[in-house]
Amino acid sequence: MLRIKTLLLIFFMTSLFLSACAPSQPTLKIVMGLSEDEWEVMRQEIFPPFEEKYGIKIQPIQMEADDLPSALEAQEAAGRVEIDLFAQDNMALSYLVNKGLVEDLSVYEKDLPKTIIPALVDAGKFDGKLYFLPYRPNVQIIYYNAEKFKEYNLKPPRNWNELLAVAKVFKQKEGVGKILFKAYGGAPTATQLYEWIVSAGGDPLAINDEGCVETFTFLQTLWPYCSPDSIRAKFDTSNEYLARDSAYLMQNWPFGIQVIVKDYEKENIATYSGFAGPAREAHVVGGEVLGIPKGAPQKEMALNLIRYLESKEVQEKLISELGWPSVRSDSDALVPLWMKPYVGSVEEALSYGVFRKNVHYWNDFEKYINEAFIEIIIHGKPVKPTLDYYHKMLEAAKQRV
Amino acid sequence: MIIKAAKKYWLEVLLVTPLLAYLLGFTLWPIIHSTIYAFTNYINGDFPSLVSFEAIITNFQFKEAVFNTLFITFFSLFFELVLGLGLALLLLEKFRGRKFFRALMLLPLGIPTIVVASNMRYIFDTNGFLNEIFYRLHLIEIPINWLGGGILTLFTVVIADMWKVTPLVMLILLAGIESIPKEVLEAAQIDGASYLRRLWYIILPFLRPFITMALIIRGIDAFRIFEMPLALTGRVVPVLGTFSYFEYREYGNIYTSAAAAAILMLMIMVAITIYLKVVKQDEVAL
Amino acid sequence: MKKIIFVLLMIFAVIFVLTPIYLMVKISLSPPAEILTAHPSLGMHAITLKHWKAVIASGELLPPLSKSVIVALMSVILSLLLAIPGAYVLSRLPYRISSALLLFIFLVRMIPQIEIALPISVSFIRLGLLDTDLGLALAHTLNVLPIVTWVLVSSFKAVPADLEDQAAIDGCGKIRTLVKIVLPLSLPGIVVAAIFGFLGSWDEFIYAIYLCLANKTLPLEVYYYINRASFFIASAYATIITIPVIIVTYVMQKYLKSEYLAGAVKG
Repeated sequence: MLRIKTLLLIFFMTSLFLSACAPSQPTLKIVMGLSEDEWEVMRQEIFPPFEEKYGIKIQPIQMEADDLPSALEAQEAAGRVEIDLFAQDNMALSYLVNKGLVEDLSVYEKDLPKTIIPALVDAGKFDGKLYFLPYRPNVQIIYYNAEKFKEYNLKPPRNWNELLAVAKVFKQKEGVGKILFKAYGGAPTATQLYEWIVSAGGDPLAINDEGCVETFTFLQTLWPYCSPDSIRAKFDTSNEYLARDSAYLMQNWPFGIQVIVKDYEKENIATYSGFAGPAREAHVVGGEVLGIPKGAPQKEMALNLIRYLESKEVQEKLISELGWPSVRSDSDALVPLWMKPYVGSVEEALSYGVFRKNVHYWNDFEKYINEAFIEIIIHGKPVKPTLDYYHKMLEAAKQRV
Repeated sequence: MIIKAAKKYWLEVLLVTPLLAYLLGFTLWPIIHSTIYAFTNYINGDFPSLVSFEAIITNFQFKEAVFNTLFITFFSLFFELVLGLGLALLLLEKFRGRKFFRALMLLPLGIPTIVVASNMRYIFDTNGFLNEIFYRLHLIEIPINWLGGGILTLFTVVIADMWKVTPLVMLILLAGIESIPKEVLEAAQIDGASYLRRLWYIILPFLRPFITMALIIRGIDAFRIFEMPLALTGRVVPVLGTFSYFEYREYGNIYTSAAAAAILMLMIMVAITIYLKVVKQDEVAL
Repeated sequence: MKKIIFVLLMIFAVIFVLTPIYLMVKISLSPPAEILTAHPSLGMHAITLKHWKAVIASGELLPPLSKSVIVALMSVILSLLLAIPGAYVLSRLPYRISSALLLFIFLVRMIPQIEIALPISVSFIRLGLLDTDLGLALAHTLNVLPIVTWVLVSSFKAVPADLEDQAAIDGCGKIRTLVKIVLPLSLPGIVVAAIFGFLGSWDEFIYAIYLCLANKTLPLEVYYYINRASFFIASAYATIITIPVIIVTYVMQKYLKSEYLAGAVKG
């Protein structure tokens, strides 16, 4: 009896090991970080024509922007890169470049279609070298609870003063702050601060110029009127807090529309482009760019796929299916009807778009601006001396990189 | 001499080699390497150097992280041990539905930490269920900010961790209790010794090695706690594990990250040494 | 007195364990409007299967589940195969040597995983094991081996030495003694070790990020749903994957019987 069990076990184990080692078909492996609805469009509408044309199978792989560098680093170190192409958040590029994980694509710049918006191409460059190609520009918009604004007779704020006034009314009426500021830390907070500092006319990378001081001073005033959930708010949790009425106004990426309106069935949520700072209205252009890992097994085919994803045909499909803004100035498809009001906000916000400078010390900037945020806003330290300290730290880091 | 020993103990050596070779073969060099990183100057690559340690020790979040790590480790170990021991003793009794109860208590073990954390967020969020219950009981008007920082938030992390790991402690102690010969227990019962006396003189001495094992195994993991505070509170509660993680993964500085890791390792070793000094050696199931 | 304390403890434990699970199930079955307000309902009122259907229809359920189960089982088997002989030897060594060796083995668990996961994963990727069940299981085995070894050492130590001496007198070799006497007697300990091994792999995250591509484990998939989907969908997903967990824990705990030991001492 025991022997039969042992034999079965051995058989079971061997088959497991064999199945684990079985070679897979040659495919083109592409990594993106998308929601289920977005993957559906990719799998059903975008990939099949390409697969048919080139006779290759595309294997889509879901990975978040935070995890891609780890995965690539490990594969690179082992000398066995399996990812052919990736789409990466343009806030998380410097690590890939600094560690030498991506191919230099400069020679292909001249082949790019002329109708691709030039500023988007420049956003993929480090020190003049082109590492990343544009395929999906993106920008944050304001979401607000129209019902509550109406209830308290408020208008959506169009500048910082109005924002503070609105925040004060909510706090006074409900006893708890209802404005959500993404204070989770890391890239989400750094991006948020970058945008606000530019709106105040400052240079974020200086950390302590006048615009920076003004931004941090304003945030210090605003913070007590912010929702207590702010401190855990990043791109994903924000949607939840707005939907659960723990916040009535927030700034987030447009993918939230799908989640809030479709999945959470919150039809009382409206959107608009955003509010201006003391200097101007400015919104950081984010989104995803395409890159090829160094040592990717099928570089040529990956380049074909990039060209295909940037083509008019695909970009128009992405507009009409998902409401994504296009990288081309010549695509003019219509967005889905239910999305129309929201997409209008995205387009308006994009018209105030600013591009972040691609610098090698971005990771250090992110660290120091976040630490300054915690010290000043959460621990209530004085603005100017703290910013001066982090300015010095960043200057030292610049020398290093 | 050596040949003689080799002849006598060849079987033992043969049996223990695969374990040590596999484990150390893959991990020893990475561990040493990480320690080398910790003592490397991240500005100019000098070795040895204490620059990385200097950089993190002056960081205000690092100080918070050390405090939080010690706090969480101490309280979660304490509560887990008390509750785990209580449950294990409870399961020593014979009662109806005992098996069902035991299975129920083991349930949290199988639920991934990340799911536990998101369940706990449903409870502790500003608009979460705990505040709702308090609100309905007219205890509060304005929601309590459980996850906003401070001691309150540290305790939510402890509770969440407890929920997930108390069953592990219970399981180790249960294995200990199951190994107490029945005759011993029965004999004591016949003697008419009171429950507390039996607990103190018979059950606990038997359990002591298992308590040590539970404390050390759980303690090491509690020091390294990482996913739970991160997924539950974001970065409100920095601990050494998350500090080291962010230094490396987000800010791209493997040196300071390794330095934080080295300090964590040192803390664990010191804690174990102190513990083993306090507990008598022969009572340790090492 | 003792009874009252035990009953109170039992009630507390049941409520404590069940509340988060109840809320997860409740959210997965609730229509959004009931939860998405400043004052969510506490009981189950309207029930909708919408979120469950969406998760089941996504097809993202079975592949990660089977991957996680296979990887966890493989790492349990691997770690037991490696640890049983090693732990047996350790359990027969003098206290000083065995404890020093055990603490040395534990080094791997004293350092945050993020520091060593990269070089360790690189070794397995070099062997061509990226995105395979085996590769991940080998990495997870490293992670759980210290605990599995320790649990085994202490349960081997609990086996009375006279029994082994008896076997030796009867002419049993060391291996035979291990297989025929020590292993059956320490079955509860082996089960506990196996449970530790299983759970260590079941919950693991960082190696999975390095070593998985298209075939994801459950924690990675849940992480995806929490990041990208509505929290109803995430709860539904989490609830559905809890069901096999209930079955597995129920089956495993059956083996935690005291009869094994008691019988042996009598025999």
